[in-house]
Amino acid sequence: MQSIFGDRKTIFILLGPALLLYTLLKVAPVAWSFGLSFFEGNTLRGFEWVGVDNFATFLNDDAALQAVWVSVVFAVAATVGQVTLGYLLALLYVFVLRKGSSLVRTIVFFPTILPTVAVALLFKSFVAVGDNQGPVNDIINFFGGESVEVLASTYGTMLTAIVMTLWSSMGFYAVLLYAGLLDIPEDVVESARIDGASGLRLVRHIILPLSLPILLSSIIFSFNSTLKVFDSLLALNNGGPGTSTSPLTLFMYRTAFEYAEYGYGSTIALVLTLLCLVFTLAVFRSTRRKVED
Amino acid sequence: MRKTRSRRFIPATALALAAITSLAACSGGGGGGGEQGGGSGSGSGAASGTDPDKFTVMTANENPTLESLLTQLSEDQCAAENEALPIEHQKVAQADVVQKITLLASQDAMPAHTIAGTALIRPDGDLGAAGLVQDLQAALEDSGGWENVLPAAASTEENVYGGFVSMPYQYNIEGFWYNKQIFEEQGIEVPTTWEDLLAAADTLQQAGVQPMTTAGAQGFPLTRLMGMYIFRNVGPDAMEAIRDGDAKLTDEEYVAGAQALADLAATGYFGEGFTTRDGDTSTNLFLTGTAAMTYDGSWILGAVNDPERNQIGGENVGFFPFPEVEGGEGSIEQYPANAGAPMIISAKTYGPKVADWVSCIAENYGGLALNEAGVISGFTVNEEVTDISPNTAEIQELISGIDEETVLWFEALFDPKSNSLASTNATLLTTGQMTAEDYMAALQESIDANK
Amino acid sequence: MALDISAPPAPTPAPPRATASPGRRRAPGWRSTKRVLRRIPVWILVAALMVVVLYPQVWMVLGSFKTQSEFLSNPALSLPETWQFDNYITALTNGNVGRNYLNSVLVTIPSVILIVFIGVAAGYALEVMIWKGQRGTLLYILAGIMVPGQMILVPLFIVYFRAGLTNSLLPLIITYTVMGLPLTTFLMATYFRAVPREIFEAATMDGSSPLRNFFVIGVPMMRNAILTVGLVQFFSVWNDLLIALTFTTRPDLATIQVGLLSLSDEYGSTQYGPLFAAVSINIVVLLVVFLALNKKIMAGMAGGAVKG
Repeated sequence: MQSIFGDRKTIFILLGPALLLYTLLKVAPVAWSFGLSFFEGNTLRGFEWVGVDNFATFLNDDAALQAVWVSVVFAVAATVGQVTLGYLLALLYVFVLRKGSSLVRTIVFFPTILPTVAVALLFKSFVAVGDNQGPVNDIINFFGGESVEVLASTYGTMLTAIVMTLWSSMGFYAVLLYAGLLDIPEDVVESARIDGASGLRLVRHIILPLSLPILLSSIIFSFNSTLKVFDSLLALNNGGPGTSTSPLTLFMYRTAFEYAEYGYGSTIALVLTLLCLVFTLAVFRSTRRKVED
Repeated sequence: MRKTRSRRFIPATALALAAITSLAACSGGGGGGGEQGGGSGSGSGAASGTDPDKFTVMTANENPTLESLLTQLSEDQCAAENEALPIEHQKVAQADVVQKITLLASQDAMPAHTIAGTALIRPDGDLGAAGLVQDLQAALEDSGGWENVLPAAASTEENVYGGFVSMPYQYNIEGFWYNKQIFEEQGIEVPTTWEDLLAAADTLQQAGVQPMTTAGAQGFPLTRLMGMYIFRNVGPDAMEAIRDGDAKLTDEEYVAGAQALADLAATGYFGEGFTTRDGDTSTNLFLTGTAAMTYDGSWILGAVNDPERNQIGGENVGFFPFPEVEGGEGSIEQYPANAGAPMIISAKTYGPKVADWVSCIAENYGGLALNEAGVISGFTVNEEVTDISPNTAEIQELISGIDEETVLWFEALFDPKSNSLASTNATLLTTGQMTAEDYMAALQESIDANK
Repeated sequence: MALDISAPPAPTPAPPRATASPGRRRAPGWRSTKRVLRRIPVWILVAALMVVVLYPQVWMVLGSFKTQSEFLSNPALSLPETWQFDNYITALTNGNVGRNYLNSVLVTIPSVILIVFIGVAAGYALEVMIWKGQRGTLLYILAGIMVPGQMILVPLFIVYFRAGLTNSLLPLIITYTVMGLPLTTFLMATYFRAVPREIFEAATMDGSSPLRNFFVIGVPMMRNAILTVGLVQFFSVWNDLLIALTFTTRPDLATIQVGLLSLSDEYGSTQYGPLFAAVSINIVVLLVVFLALNKKIMAGMAGGAVKG
């Protein structure tokens, strides 16, 4: 048995292409870029060694620290929201709608594929004030409140961005988790039912532990993608008002590609990657006991 | 068991990465800097570069008109030049221009004729310093085509790029567009001073008409108003003085500009929700008669000429220049102008055949663009103008007649970072989340930091 | 602690989801009525969900029939004054849309096939096979999803340029494959982990070769997961703009997302009608793909049930 699952040739054939492509075309370029964290300049002007100056700049750069804060707040809120909603939807598909869930799944998934620009336009019109006041302010007016210019404030913009993200990504996480829930052997669930576990208790004691690996993967993936939020905050309010909702990616993109400071841009990217690493390890650590059965 | 294995793995990977990093960084750094030295100087007018195989033109995805007009030239007036050196198109997204050009130039692969970023092509910019930007005044003077360039366009380019280095495929002047009918109904004269403008706006507001609209979401329409106030108040050299360090944005007369904008916003003249209003919506408010005025560039003519969008009728759309500020150094005659996105000629590939292309375009583009697309360019119109709207004709005439110097816009001479800060912080200024003093102080700090 | 199924049994043994397990027990008439009543909140919930999700999509489709000034004057959910098909004509004739769609297909299909094939194989090798260093290698690949994608653009551009690949669609296919691999591998490893080892071990008894095991046992077992991951990658590749922009300059290599840019102008103005028309067309195309694949997922589910 051991020899069949430990066959070196097979491992090599199966893993080789992935490892080779990944190392050559992802790891090496990333290493190249990260190396440039210690340089100043761009590909045209040339690079000049500056040691850890870029890191010192980063730590003293108010805009950078603000961007870290924006990214972290967004990532935590969006991850909690989208994984929770996604999981609830997946439970709905598997245990309530069952085989009839196909259409619902499809429809809920659809917002994922709409271009962010269009989605942002839609949410902007929802919270609009003035001549084309959106439904949000209509409701506020109905209850006697004054119209609020949501996107003129930092909180309003963040809240809108998070709701927008949840709306467009919950279907995605639902499908991701759904595929995981499907793999739970039916007899395990059935026997638990016969033992009298039902509803919440069933979910908590049977389903949740069994779907923990995929749930964990979803959380990790969610953190890693929301920490790198880019286009939704850009399209919604251009990282504004001011730069108060500019995440690290937007700050990096502007620095590296608009201001042509590739060295400093790489430094920002490195910090972002470290942030992702910290979050991922934290998720791993906090649940280690549970996954390592 | 698994735990220890992963622990051991991490340092090993880190080491391997570090090794790759240092190698890659060294070779990258060396390659980037070394190859540029040989570019031909941008000062010479004679075709001193080597002709490429194709006349490769890189334009913005967002500007399909330019591509089709150049194609039209290649089939008609410039057919001979096209025969000698066939045109070939490339595209780049506007947001991606700086990155793409920097990359292509670093690989010695910049197209013969290409869109570029403003900061890159100035003499001290990355492309300018590498000697990749052809001086087109020298080039056109050499080929006898300089007379095809409008003096106003030459003046604008000199101001913003530090030389005539871009083909002025568009030339826009800016000012207030107003609804003639509303002005007449309210008995308002075209304002010539800032006080008059405020009085007019007040009259309109009293009468229940929204006085102005602006696309606050984009930021720059707001800073334009502030910048023009400063130009009228301090004089046409106001922003050059900031660039050269002869004045500070925190000086009283500059802060007055920010204050003027903040006051304008605070009185509610822009209408509710202006900070999130985009360009299309703003233009629409004006063209449907909701707002009486809007400050905008002459690119608005595209919408003005579209009967489907313009519901007030072209005959009701008027134009007046930004008014004077009482006691200020600037004059109402100094029109703010810009020449669109820069389109440079690579000095490296500026050979005789490219030179022929450049003179052919300069001679024929102005007329073609005006007749075919209603686009006003910085070239003279050398053919009979047949079917253009009275609004376009009015602006075209105005532009051809400008012989005094033009002024730029507020952030034109800033470094890219301060440029972006100026427009992003404009929302904070106009919603009262930032005072005029703080706004200017933050901006000045950014300018100083990026010197 | 996690697998705590020793909770005291609840006194009333009425499994609420029993309707969906056919033939398990025969339900008396009053019980099924009760079940229908119990289902009502579920249907209300699903209906509310549909409204929340569909409203914006309907808004977008309606927008695709409006003229520019109509859309700007009245962006709320409302029927267009007249049903304008002009936007669709603009969207389908603007620039070189046919070529753009073809390029998108030519790029997306090979990329997704490569991603799925290589990723599933790697996931199998990392989770089902047993060897020293598999955990570390998984972490090494996982690190790939932590890096901001923008960081590989400049180095890769230079590599592709020097290799003379920039005048083809190859850089796009290669880059999408590499970008999609870490997530796919990671997810596939996770899905494989959920399968009890005994199933693999039982299946290998008949002496088939290790590589054959992967194709005959591993792949069919993961049909659902493979389709899900493939679908996710399909959409992310199809909707990508960043990479498509960076590695192509020739208009005849532009994908549909790049082509859509010409609906905006240099001063930030956008032709909303044609943009929404293009998005609506996209929705229909993708809907077809999605439904076709969903059928397969359903089939896979049935297969899974037989297995269980």
